[in-house]
Formats: sequence, structure tokens, C-alpha cells
Amino acid sequence: MDSAEHGLLEEALRRTMTTAEPGAGLDSALAGLGWTQMLAEEPDTAVPLVFRLLGETGARAAVLNDVVLRAAGRPVGGTLPLPYAGGVWVEWARDGSPAGSALDPGLPLRRVDPGEAVPLAAGRRALGWWLLGTGRAMLELAREHVLDRQQFGRPLASFQALRHRLAEAFVALEGAEAALAAAEDDTGSLLAKAVAGRAALTAARHCQQALGGIGFTAEHALHRHVRRALVLDGLLGSTRELTREAGALLLREGRARRLVDL
Amino acid sequence: MRTAEFRQGVRAWLDGNDLTPPPDHSLDAQVAQLARVRAALWDADWMRHGWPRAVGGLGGDGTLRAVLGEEVASRALAEPGIWSMVEVLVPTVVDYAPPALAAEMVPRLLSGREQWCQGFSEPGSGSDLASLSTRAVPDGDGWVVSGQKVWTSLAQYAARCVLLARTGGPGHAGISAFLVDMDSPGVTVRPLRTMHGVDEFAEVFLDGVRVPAHRMLGAPGDGWRLAMDLLPHERSTCFWHRVAHLYGTLDRLLADGCEPDPDALGAVWLDLHSVRCRSAATQRRQAEGGRLGPETSVDKILLATAEQRLFDTARELLPGTVELAEDATWRTGYLYARAATIYGGTAEIQRNIVARRLLGLGKE
Repeated sequence: MDSAEHGLLEEALRRTMTTAEPGAGLDSALAGLGWTQMLAEEPDTAVPLVFRLLGETGARAAVLNDVVLRAAGRPVGGTLPLPYAGGVWVEWARDGSPAGSALDPGLPLRRVDPGEAVPLAAGRRALGWWLLGTGRAMLELAREHVLDRQQFGRPLASFQALRHRLAEAFVALEGAEAALAAAEDDTGSLLAKAVAGRAALTAARHCQQALGGIGFTAEHALHRHVRRALVLDGLLGSTRELTREAGALLLREGRARRLVDL
Repeated sequence: MRTAEFRQGVRAWLDGNDLTPPPDHSLDAQVAQLARVRAALWDADWMRHGWPRAVGGLGGDGTLRAVLGEEVASRALAEPGIWSMVEVLVPTVVDYAPPALAAEMVPRLLSGREQWCQGFSEPGSGSDLASLSTRAVPDGDGWVVSGQKVWTSLAQYAARCVLLARTGGPGHAGISAFLVDMDSPGVTVRPLRTMHGVDEFAEVFLDGVRVPAHRMLGAPGDGWRLAMDLLPHERSTCFWHRVAHLYGTLDRLLADGCEPDPDALGAVWLDLHSVRCRSAATQRRQAEGGRLGPETSVDKILLATAEQRLFDTARELLPGTVELAEDATWRTGYLYARAATIYGGTAEIQRNIVARRLLGLGKE
């Protein structure tokens, strides 16, 4: 896919995600755009694009199932038990059932009995891109707010304390994108999801603060992204768990692997 | 030469040629070791790759220099900070000096025969570099320079200095650059005592120093552009060398029997991995002909954050080592890491750049 085609696809996906009915509606709209074929033929293009856009648009679809099913060599389109933080297992329902997770009503996660081990790397990369997109969405909301809102006779964006908070969020997200773009093997995917989860939570903290009172209301969009970041962080291993796992790997091997080279 | 082939060649050559530094950790010994490693690598041609043929190089892109520096840092053959200084000095001279001057001078630096320094900061001009007040006034066929520089690394060893001085009015446009011989009458160097115990920085006093006209780098008023142009060099190959050094330091922390705290160690690895991925992408972009700009402030912030977290963690997981150990290695590294958010543009300046240039937040 050349960059012009990539741009057109991105535009089509973004339009679909902002217009289709969330959940099952978006699932079928993505199917209409050729999601299954894209996943089979160009996963390295399709997965980063689709999942980042899910984050940026705040949309939701059950496509994580497909990524994990494909990695497990199973037919896509169904669901399977997925490990969650704290040793819990969940299923990401596709039947349009209204019951979402307690924190993020949009995500239809329900607790299930422990399932069999599933390959995690591809799903972690996908979730990392989603978390990155969610972080970007929060940063954009905060950016618009500080440029628009005036206090003490000048825009909030002119106050260095807030500028530095948003810069901090931006740097964290850029570091996450670099790690995601370089992620190939199991370890790289583990590190990338941990970095992305950490970046999304960093963005949530700073953007929430920059948005002040309005960001704490339900009428502003921020809280939906904050909830999403927190729930996605726990899926297939939380930042805390993955960071610890990375540290345990260091201790086992006695050396830090250099996962990217020039 | 391709990167992978080059890396293999360098590794094989270093395996067969022992350049292990002596156990002496003094700055004199470090600088002598730097010169020794450069000379050996220059004579064996490795040091010539990635530099233009016009200045004694063999061509190829900067990735080759990044790889060479990574091998040198990984084997701890030379102190990484002073090793990387050529990455800033040479491109500046290649781009701005009269060609004959660059062809004459650059090989002396790359081959280890000379050290050079960079006279930018002044006592009254740190973060606000454009306010610098060292003056160069025309005098016959040349210039007479007077003023004071500070934080000038290796000035006490340097044969030449890339110096910024004011030739015009206030602000960016009044600044010009020169290549000054450090043995010129009127140059006085006084090393600064630093908190980490390695006196690599110095004050440089310039008292009526005569500089010939052909030693100006670029045209009058080009000094600020020269200073801005060297940032991408500092933030590509130099950063890759530093990241390699920090990975080596994490390995050493594990080898030294640190407390097995997987949370803290994992967090260090996350930081190092992020900046390594970012730096690799930056260099790919540069090798493909892309122009580096304010987005390299992100690399700088990630690197400084990673370096401080690494040494903070080392201090915690090797209790008492920084404070009490006879061997000063961890103490020196820990203390030097305090400066990571200060040198090369402070953490605050970097965040200002991110806010203004990358987030479009307008003026403060």
C-alpha cells in the first residue's frame, strides 16, 4: 500500500468510525471496508491504523478478538477468553449485549472462567496502538481547551506550567509510538504495550488537569477517553504487570536485549 | 559500505586489536585514551567512514558513525561524552569553513592528533544563548575577539575552538562563528571544578585575541544558524552513542548484583527502549535525507529522563555504592546524570520548544 492509498484508507476508516453505530454497528461497517481481508493480507498496516483510529475517534469495535484469533491460527469473527490484569479473564462480547465493563460502559467486557493460553504479542501491539490513539485524543482535547479558554486576561496556553504538562504528555506518546512502530517479537510487543499504557495514563493525568473543571463533567468528552485508557491498560497485561515482567526478564538474562538496531 | 557489513567489520577488528583503557580514571588519562582510540581507528580507516572525502573521509552516511560509536561505547573504550564531540564539531566545520581550511583541519581532529572545543555558553548567556556578549571587532585583515566563555568541554586540551562572538547588533543576527587557535596570544583557560569530580569543563577568557579573516565560519551573522544547524547532529549520532552507553550501564547494574527489583529495573528498560526506538527512527529519517528540526527535542527529553531514572535506580538497588564505594564509577555516573537535564538545552527549554513548535500553543 503506498502512502496515497494509506491516506485514503485512513480517511475512510475515520469517517466510518465517527458515523457508524458503536459496537456491533462499527464491526459490520469495518467488515464492509474489508477488515478481515486487510487483517489477513496487510496486518502490519491495518492493525496500527485501525486501532490507533479507534483511540483517536473514541469509537469501539470488537476487532481485538480477530487479532488474537488470527495469531492463534483460528478463524476470525468469534470471541475467546482474554487474560486481564490481576489474573482475571474476560470476554469481549460481539453480540451487542449492553453490559459494558463497570468503568467503561462502552466496552462489552464480561468476566469469564480462565481460558486456555493465547498468543499475546499481536494483541498487545494492537492494544498499544489503541492506547496511543486514546492518548492523542485526550491531548487534542486539552490542546483546544488551553488555546480557547482565557483566564487573567490571556489564554491558558500562555502559562508555562500548563505548556509543560502538555509537552510531557506529547513526549510520552511519541516515545510510545516509536516503541510500537519497532515492535516485532514477543518482548518488543510486551515493552511497547507497557510504554503505550504508561503514556496514555500520563496523558490522562496531565490533560485532565489542563481541562480543569470542564474535564470533570460528563458533558465533556474527556472522561470517556480516560475510562477507556484505564480499562484497555489492564487487557492482556497492565503497564505495571508488563513492566515487572520486563524486569524479571532482565534479571533472568543478566543483560538488557537491544531490540532495535540501525 | 552497508551498515550491517560495517558493524561486523568493526567488531571483528576490535576483537583483534586490544584498545582496553588503562585503569587510570583521571581526565588526563581519559583524553589520552580518546586520542589513542581515535588514532588506531583512523589508521585502520574505521574512523573515516561516514565523513566526506573532502576532509579525509571515505563517504557514506552518518549511520556508520553511529554504529562505530556504539561499538566504542559498548566496549567502554572511550568516555562517551568526549568521544561524541566530533559529531558536532566536524559537520559544523565541513558546512561552514572555507573548504581548504576544513580539509586541513578536520583530519587532525578525527585522527586523534588534536582535541577541539566549542565556545558557545557565557556566564551571562546560558539558556538565552542569543544574548551572548563576547565581541569580535574588525581589525585590518582579521578580527580581534574579547570576552568570556564557560562550560567549554576539554578547553584545556583543545588546539582549536569553534567560537561564537558578536560582530553586529543585539540578537541572533549579530552573531558570527570562528575557528580560533587556542594557542593564540590572549587566550586563557581555567578548568572548572565540577560536582562529579571530572574537570572536563573550563572557563575560557579571550583578551584581544587576533583571528585571521579566513577563520570565520560562514559569513558575518551566520553564527546563530550554525548553532541551530548543529543540533540535529548532536541529536542523531551522539544520542545513539549515549543510548549504547546507558544500555551498557544497565548491564553493569545487573552484573554488579543489584537488588532484584523487577518493577524498578523494568521501568528503566522501558525508558531506554523508548529512546532507542525513537533515536533509531530519527537516524533513519536523516539517512533518507530528511531534515531534523524541533521534533528532536522529544529525543532529548526521552534521553535525559532515561539517564536520570537509570542512575537513580542504580543508587537505590546498589545501596551505599554511590555514597561509600572505593571505586568511583557509580558515584561519578550518578552525579554526572544530574546534568542530563541541563546541558545541551535544559529540560525546560526543550519543553518550551515542544509546546511552541510541536503542539502549536503559541507564545508564552
